[in-house]
Amino acid sequence: MSQDIATIRVTRYRPEKDLKPYFQEYKVPYRQDMVVLDALNYIKAEIDGSLTYRWSCRMGVCGSCGANVDGEPKLTCASFLHDFKGRTITVEPIANFPVIKDLVVDMEDFMEKLVKIKPWIIREKETPPEQGEYKQSAQELERYSQFSSCINCMLCYAACPIYGLNEKFLGPAAIALAYRYIEDSRDQGKEVRFPIVHEMEGAWECTLVGECSVVCPKGVDPMLAIQKTKILGATNAIKSLLMPRGGR
Amino acid sequence: MEDNERYPELRRRLSPGWWTANRHYTMYMVREWTSLFVALYSLIFIYGLSLWAMDSRADFLNFLKNPAIVGFSLIALVFTMYHAATWFYLLGAIAPVRIGRSRTKPWQALVLNLILLVIISYLAIWLLALR
Repeated sequence: MSQDIATIRVTRYRPEKDLKPYFQEYKVPYRQDMVVLDALNYIKAEIDGSLTYRWSCRMGVCGSCGANVDGEPKLTCASFLHDFKGRTITVEPIANFPVIKDLVVDMEDFMEKLVKIKPWIIREKETPPEQGEYKQSAQELERYSQFSSCINCMLCYAACPIYGLNEKFLGPAAIALAYRYIEDSRDQGKEVRFPIVHEMEGAWECTLVGECSVVCPKGVDPMLAIQKTKILGATNAIKSLLMPRGGR
Repeated sequence: MEDNERYPELRRRLSPGWWTANRHYTMYMVREWTSLFVALYSLIFIYGLSLWAMDSRADFLNFLKNPAIVGFSLIALVFTMYHAATWFYLLGAIAPVRIGRSRTKPWQALVLNLILLVIISYLAIWLLALR
């Protein structure tokens, strides 16, 4: 197989040495089937062992290897080098998160938000396993199915200027995941999750930029989940005002 | 540096020109800014309606014929259509209608709502001015 040479410009930031981040350029020989992550691995193995980045599965499942590739938030394992043929590929840490080192960002805020929305099935009363599983029809599954494909890669947060301007915003992936459980017929935790997704920095903070859904590598539409959450919240509020016993 | 002490993280801020970085950001910002025109038009319209309510129909029509108001209304119309298209499309995405085994697509809601908008606007014009 023939080999071309890719020029990769990577952000370097080593807090123990550098006051500011800077770009370092590397030349990487590549084949047709190589992706940006392969190039980073080549750099680390063959040129500069100090380059630091996250990765794991190499097949778009783990969500670890996100970076700003040519200015866009992407999984580096899903960005083919030949798509950038003839130009320098700029690889930067994903936007809107503090940088720990080189391409590694601090995920703490995102992890806290994920836990905050309680991403598990809440039951009013758990039934013992002997009584069997909680059943669900294909139609019920379809209501939330796409929102359960999130791999927590944080690219939607990197693409969201609202989160960039206000890091208190619960953000696309967390709200989409909350919606996934709210719409799950087996879940009975609406009353716990509703106040969380409808607080000041919850779904209503979203002003519909829509870039979160554009960059999602798994075809999840967080923007849609957020708007559906708003509708659910609004109808719930009207019901609780107008209906006897709050429409319960 | 102590072992348990962390090095400082690099905190980056969005640059003031972030909304020029890609087409979606720009479209979003245009929508935000044009809201001002839509809001202003609403105020002008409320003023016009107040003239109408005070039985000053001639004043209302003269007010509408003012070239500045006509010009502004045309600009506001273009911007309002942009907003209408955004929300009609979103309506189709959020609340698709199930027909048999398939669901309607967002663009179908957009087209249907735009057609309804034209029909309702015509009926309103007919009721107010042409009848």
